[in-house]
Amino acid sequence: MIELENLTKRYGDVDVVSDVSMQIQPGSFTVVVGQSGSGKSTLLRMVNRLVEPTAGRVLIDGRDVASLPGPTLRRGIGYAIQGHGLFPHRTVAQNIATVPTLLGWPKAKIRARVAELLEALQLDPGQFAAKYPDELSGGEQQRVGVARALAAGPNILLMDEPFGALDPIIRVKAQDDVKAIQRRFETTILLVTHDMEEAFHLGDAIAVMSGGKLQQYGSPEDLLLRPANDYVSRLIGSSDRALRALSLKTARDAAESGDTDGLFPIAPDANLRDALAELIWRGADAAAVSGEAGTPPRRLSLRRILALGRGA
Amino acid sequence: MATHQAAAAPPRQVGTGALARLDRLGLLLVALAAGGLASLPFLTFKANRIAAGAGKTLADTLGTAVAAAFLAVLALVAAVALLDRRPRVRLAAALLGVGAMALAVGFGAGWLTPPGDRFARVAPGGGAWLLLLALALLATDALARLGLSPLLRMAALAGAAAVTVLAFRSGLFDQLSVMREYASRADVFGREARQHLLLAGGSVAAAILIGAPLGALCALSPRIRGAVLPVLNVVQTIPSIALFGLLMGPLAWLGRTQPWAAELGIRGIGAAPALLALTLYALLPVAANTALGLGRVPATAVDAAAGMGMTRRQILARIEIPLALPVILAGVRVVLVQNIGLATIAALIGGGGLGTFVFQGVGQTAIDLVLLGAAPTVAMAFVAAVLLDAVVDALGRRPA
Amino acid sequence: MSTMALAPRVVALVLLLAFLLAPQFFAPVFAPLTHNGAPPIYTQASLLDLAIAHLELVALATVGSAVVAIALGVLVTRRAGAEFLPLSRAIVNIGQTFPPVAVLAVAAPLVGFGQAPTLIALFVYGLLPIFENTLSGLQQVSAAVVESAKGAGMGGLQRLVKIELPLAAPQILEGVRLSTVIAIGTATIGSTVAAKGLGEVIIAGLLSDNTAFILQGGLVVGVMAVLIYDAMTALERIVLRRRGVRR
Repeated sequence: MIELENLTKRYGDVDVVSDVSMQIQPGSFTVVVGQSGSGKSTLLRMVNRLVEPTAGRVLIDGRDVASLPGPTLRRGIGYAIQGHGLFPHRTVAQNIATVPTLLGWPKAKIRARVAELLEALQLDPGQFAAKYPDELSGGEQQRVGVARALAAGPNILLMDEPFGALDPIIRVKAQDDVKAIQRRFETTILLVTHDMEEAFHLGDAIAVMSGGKLQQYGSPEDLLLRPANDYVSRLIGSSDRALRALSLKTARDAAESGDTDGLFPIAPDANLRDALAELIWRGADAAAVSGEAGTPPRRLSLRRILALGRGA
Repeated sequence: MATHQAAAAPPRQVGTGALARLDRLGLLLVALAAGGLASLPFLTFKANRIAAGAGKTLADTLGTAVAAAFLAVLALVAAVALLDRRPRVRLAAALLGVGAMALAVGFGAGWLTPPGDRFARVAPGGGAWLLLLALALLATDALARLGLSPLLRMAALAGAAAVTVLAFRSGLFDQLSVMREYASRADVFGREARQHLLLAGGSVAAAILIGAPLGALCALSPRIRGAVLPVLNVVQTIPSIALFGLLMGPLAWLGRTQPWAAELGIRGIGAAPALLALTLYALLPVAANTALGLGRVPATAVDAAAGMGMTRRQILARIEIPLALPVILAGVRVVLVQNIGLATIAALIGGGGLGTFVFQGVGQTAIDLVLLGAAPTVAMAFVAAVLLDAVVDALGRRPA
Repeated sequence: MSTMALAPRVVALVLLLAFLLAPQFFAPVFAPLTHNGAPPIYTQASLLDLAIAHLELVALATVGSAVVAIALGVLVTRRAGAEFLPLSRAIVNIGQTFPPVAVLAVAAPLVGFGQAPTLIALFVYGLLPIFENTLSGLQQVSAAVVESAKGAGMGGLQRLVKIELPLAAPQILEGVRLSTVIAIGTATIGSTVAAKGLGEVIIAGLLSDNTAFILQGGLVVGVMAVLIYDAMTALERIVLRRRGVRR
């Protein structure tokens, strides 16, 4: 667990981060959202002490991060940033091996780990290991950046606008990849972004920051249904909040038992927003959601979706 | 009648087409060489070192038959220069031409010199120099178009150097006046050449040791940068001979009053002020390029390195210096070439080096002696430039 | 240029002129540098005359190299001259490996001693920075700008004169300034082949072991170089700002 206690960072007379306290659950995907200058990056950089707090402290599993030397602390925490920050003079394999090398792992172990990570991120080791960063596409560079951050198997991964430099189509794919990786390695991820869409897409928990202050910290549903103040509701926007709410629920959770004869199938993992779009497109009233192994398919009706989207 | 007209048109097109197909650079070079050979002597002959020179044409030098053979080889080279655009072929032709010319000059000098005559001086004339220039340009152009990899360039340089040394060792050029000058100074030449290298190399090494950390400081702090770089800039505007001279006074004083300095060989004249002046000249490019190179390292790479737990020293050694190295070395290249040239001036203040021959030659109006000093200086600078360019390219190839 | 930056330059200029016009006035300053009663101020020739001769040589050579180098730079960046581009780049690269002393020393026996070989050396040496900067300046003019000039119906010559040269001007002029400063320094070496100029004072100091001569020669040349470089920079700013090329 990561605990931020009354964290403050002051530059001159300005509080860039002001008295922020929050607890981040192990294995969660927490997203900090805010506009530029909101203090979100500074907050993130105080966790691995790239920025030293003016006041307050950070505890990781109950231990004050200030008790460790900065570099030692950072070797145990993954870190990925916008524009990937890959070292242009080192190969993909050398880049990924950065922290294991710093930690003095044996060569064979490093090589195996590099191959494992490249495969996990759908990059063929034989093809990519010896390439230089400038020979990769933007999406590939970003994936290598994530692989590098995960190289030493950290429990915690800090990400600062990691998808900021990607074009929209690649970005969604990259987000899904990171989410899959997070589930597979059960990493605690703290991610900073200015993009509310991204926050809803990725976050188990969302923290909204503005003017250095934490405006609201809660689940996506909380933010959507119970925004703490005007700023948060303006940031989320009201025009499509029903659809946003639907996008947080899956077909599996919403489906009911019932007649599924002749209905088109929909994946259990699909969210209700996508399911609704599919129903409208096909002009159907209901779809069949396949069940767990051995159980019969269940029915997801238009009426049910509309009921779940009714927020207030 | 109609068919006749149709047939008449194509030859005219072929005619203009053929002229247009001639390589224009080749045309220029062939004109340069042919004009030179036609209007200027191939070799000049002087009965002794101070006698007036007499120009000798190709035929005078080589005899009609050999001259015709030589011209046939040159005609072949010219044909390639005019018609063939493949860089490989042009390079081969240029090298063939240089080889043929070396033989013609070497043997020609031998044939012109009466047997046993130790006073006669034979030197390449304007025609030979222009021919050499044209061939060198042809080769340079071909090499530039070939775009050889750094490693191949170094290999080509080593090959060319080996062939040149062998040619001089073989005695082919012993009858040329430059080599006559060399023969009477062989031992001094070796010493001055070493001294020259020591002055240029030593001053650049010192400039790297001082200038690189200075440049790193400039990269860290704009305030230091604002204080250091303008001062070094002003140092560069002091004329070299004045800077050499100005350092004589303080060093002479140091040598007179401080026993340790005297022991180190620090005196008002000689190598010490020369080395110091050359080092001062080299500081600006080294420091400025170090600052520039470090400043260009992507901030994200440094941030990522810090975020992954590299210490400040590791970031410098593993990220910043490797990334800045091509730019720093580009500065070293400029400085090394510049100091190999400037080291000739050391001779004016008793610092030795190949400038000794240049200034002796100027004093005696003996161009051969000037060449004995100047040609190796140019060769050294050339080798240094090609080598360091290749290293910079090899390093710079990785990061985009 | 702010007055803060201007003040030391004005002082330097005043001192320089005063020294050239009335050098004897400064004798006490240089006297401590002499020994055995050697003269503290060079009197074999008027320092003012030497300075003027020095600058004449530099100006003549630099104007010559600027005209030739810019013309060559324009030529090889046109389509008609593209064939010569790789070679001219290589020549620029190799040309820098010829030390000025060598150029001077080889030219002297061929064309006689005095101003002529110095002029040739300064001219040849001045070509390189200007050519290099002209080349990179012209090549950096954005293709979009040239395209839109084409689209506006400008011919090749109009494009060159109205678009490309003005946009490349800051870089080209930087090359000219660099050449001038190099020439001011290199011209001192000309005195080893009997060219008239301030090098004479320095050489006389070297030969008679008179540090005062070396220092005054070196100072005058150094100060002139800095002042002329700055003056050219200031002039360039004014002209280009009026044209809107540099903000």
